[in-house]
Amino acid sequence: MGNEALSAKNPLRALGLESDGTDERRSMGLVMARAGLGKTAILVQFALDCMLLGNKVLHVSIGESVDKTRSWYDDLLSCLTEGEKLKDIPAIMKNRMIMTFKESSFSNAMFEERLNDLVAQDIYVPDCLIIDGYDFEENDYAALAEFKKFMKSKGLKMVWFSAVSHREDTRKSAEGVPAPCHEVDDLFENVLLIKPTEDSITLDIIKCDSCGISPGTQLKLDPSTMLIQKV
Amino acid sequence: MSRDLSKVRNIGISAHIDSGKTTLTERILFYTNRIHAIHEVRGKDGVGAKMDSMELEKERGITIQSAATYCTWKDIDINIIDTPGHVDFTVEVERALRVLDGAVLVLCSVGGVQSQSITVNRQMTRYNVPRIAFVNKCDRTGANPMKVTQQLRDKLDLNAHMLQMPIGLENDLVGMVDLVEMKAVYYEGDNGEKIRITDIPADMVDEAEEKRAALLEEVSMFSDDLMEALLEEGEIDTQLIYDAIRKGTLALEFTPVFMGSAYKNKGVQSLLDAVEKYLPCPTDVKNTALDLKNNEEEFQVTNNPADPLIMLAFKLEDGRYGQLTYIRTYQGELNKGDTVFNSRTGKKVKIGRLCRMHSDEMEEIEYCGSGDIVALFGVDCASGDTFTDDRISCSMDSMHIPEPVISLAVIPVDNKAQINMSKALNRFTKEDPTFKTFVDHETGETIISGMGELHLEVYIERMKREYKAEVTVGAPQVAYRETITQRADFDYTHKKQTGGSGQFGRVAGYLEPLEEGEYEFVDNIVGGAIPREFISSCDKGFQKSVEKGSLCGSAITGVRVVINDGAFHAVDSSDVAFQLASIGGFKQGYMKAGPVIMEPIMKVAVEGPSEFQGAVMGSLNQRRGMIIGTMEEGTYTVVEAEVPLSEMFGYSTVLRSLTQGKAEFTMEFATFKPVPKGVGEELIKKYQQEKDKSN
Repeated sequence: MGNEALSAKNPLRALGLESDGTDERRSMGLVMARAGLGKTAILVQFALDCMLLGNKVLHVSIGESVDKTRSWYDDLLSCLTEGEKLKDIPAIMKNRMIMTFKESSFSNAMFEERLNDLVAQDIYVPDCLIIDGYDFEENDYAALAEFKKFMKSKGLKMVWFSAVSHREDTRKSAEGVPAPCHEVDDLFENVLLIKPTEDSITLDIIKCDSCGISPGTQLKLDPSTMLIQKV
Repeated sequence: MSRDLSKVRNIGISAHIDSGKTTLTERILFYTNRIHAIHEVRGKDGVGAKMDSMELEKERGITIQSAATYCTWKDIDINIIDTPGHVDFTVEVERALRVLDGAVLVLCSVGGVQSQSITVNRQMTRYNVPRIAFVNKCDRTGANPMKVTQQLRDKLDLNAHMLQMPIGLENDLVGMVDLVEMKAVYYEGDNGEKIRITDIPADMVDEAEEKRAALLEEVSMFSDDLMEALLEEGEIDTQLIYDAIRKGTLALEFTPVFMGSAYKNKGVQSLLDAVEKYLPCPTDVKNTALDLKNNEEEFQVTNNPADPLIMLAFKLEDGRYGQLTYIRTYQGELNKGDTVFNSRTGKKVKIGRLCRMHSDEMEEIEYCGSGDIVALFGVDCASGDTFTDDRISCSMDSMHIPEPVISLAVIPVDNKAQINMSKALNRFTKEDPTFKTFVDHETGETIISGMGELHLEVYIERMKREYKAEVTVGAPQVAYRETITQRADFDYTHKKQTGGSGQFGRVAGYLEPLEEGEYEFVDNIVGGAIPREFISSCDKGFQKSVEKGSLCGSAITGVRVVINDGAFHAVDSSDVAFQLASIGGFKQGYMKAGPVIMEPIMKVAVEGPSEFQGAVMGSLNQRRGMIIGTMEEGTYTVVEAEVPLSEMFGYSTVLRSLTQGKAEFTMEFATFKPVPKGVGEELIKKYQQEKDKSN
């Protein structure tokens, strides 16, 4: 199976994302859920999709180790290929770099410095950025807006964040984005919410400018693989 | 003569380089009365630490060979293997772990879990070695044993909990709070030999109680009795806690953390108590052997002294007392004068002398029993050999030995050096299975190969110092491989008619990539197209072909050869004719099979202050490295990358100058990958030029 073919059959296509990589829109997305529901799995699926289309992904993991993050990629890639060995796996993995930070040592400024280093020395110039574990409670609107501006200046095509919501915090934005992101929701073009129901897990599309499906759509996730289930 | 095996501990001390494990071992020997004065690793008295018995180790301040030593703490016999910290010598670490029942993982309280700690921990997990952690150097500025314990959980995924709390830190370190006994322990006297136990300082009581409660909650998972006692909220019997911790530790589900400063003589005695309390005795560990009479069926060794003898030679040394073979006994008993059998060679060996080693001094003993680690004199064997008595035929399972990745030519300066070099190489290859040597038939040069630059450097130094073999050394060469990427057919006839009996053989079939393994020969001949007696000749011919590929002269691996047709002549066909036909056939198929050159890729971890992260990544990038990830922890960063070995020569110098000597790196073999086109063309060109020159 070739990379394009694999990308075309990626369950993420259910979101109506472009599969030929020609989408030049630059967007910032957010995956929200309560702790332990699989935000990283969804982020890694977006990252893998980018990588298969030849884009370079920088995966920033706050509070996780490189090995653990890497194993998410290995597991999900093997789910996508249904165990079939991909000839180009080493080449695909060249499109990924993982950067991990301790929760206490991550700051927007430090990350900007690291990314500048990578780009200025031409060590690794990412097209897509994944930030898993960003602390939305500690960073206000202005800081995030500034961060968005910086990422735009680096020419990133796509940025995805994850955020933890809490059952006891019922605050919501007008569009339905739960706390702690309810006050920064207009900075995001795409917001997806993972929700457990009695017998399944769903991915609710709160808004998605890059998707071909309308807000309010609810997709089912396979609870064992966290891939979007085909209808 | 049997003894109580519950009073025996075979332990290893493993850690990242410079974490102070040799100093720690030195202190252990002092407190157990094996030595009567303390010498520092790089001390001013010029004596050096006891365990660093090789001259070179004393000079470099690193431990190269694991010296085995024996000591007694209270009524417990402890065998200690001091293991090297540098990754180039990991076979030593692996060997030590293979024969040990438990280990102490030493960590620096400032550096915390460093790259080599991760490797060592992985190795301990591979051999199911229960471990306790010792956070050393708590007297250093910036010491933080709490942070290190957290790193043990985060980075090594160990369920690590402190069993002590430091009383004072850095310069003020005076003792520890024992969280099980709830007492303060002070190490006093010139060498910390006087232990004073008092009540916990008033200002630490609340914190100690809080930490103890958390500890008890955690270890109660391993003991229903303790859980019940906790629920009843009464006085808790400390023995229940000890038992629960021991149970968790032996099951590899709990890692007790101790702390101190070996250099400042703080906390070592408590660590020895912990070795007794929490690490396994030989009967707690399941060891298996392969029954050679029963199709290598695995069976568990018994540790029973009355059962047939089984022992494993895990280390050879050529010291001032002649050849020493370190062995671990798994069951049975060995007496001086006994005759044993080497399972690999089938040879009978008489045991003349039996010794307990104390680093480079020895103590003669009359017998050794199950669980013992002792040294034998004058036994000719290789590392990894199993010895048994005549009642059993078995072999301890093999150890994981990595393939060498780097080689260089060594040229003796004169005849005397040639003789000494041969002796040295003979010894080293027996001692260390990752060190290999052979003579390149084309150049006549002796080639040595091993696991890294430092690995080979140390052996060259040893050749000079211990064997007086003066040698000049060529540039390091990478062990490239060749392989094929697609299936290709061949059909070759070897025909020669030059008077007398001729040569005739035709071999046809195909080559295809082999996913796992180096070479496979498949005979699909039907109808006698090639007579049975010549099939092995074909195999021989193909095996000769894979020894040296035609792209860059490296060995060919990952190839399956299938023969399905051929022809013979009743008179002119012979063994040689079919060998030559196979060589011709392979040559024909090889170039059509998309041959590529593969190079060893190393997993490199560079650790240093975060301010140098950009420079470090740049340097790895320049070396065709693929950066896998970075881990940033406050002021320290680890950069992980995969880099071709050929680009790593001299990297330590570059790294030193880039980072003002503040960063260090470790490197281990990861995999073989095809070389980029440009590099491949360069290698082919170079090989052709060399070939043309020699013609």
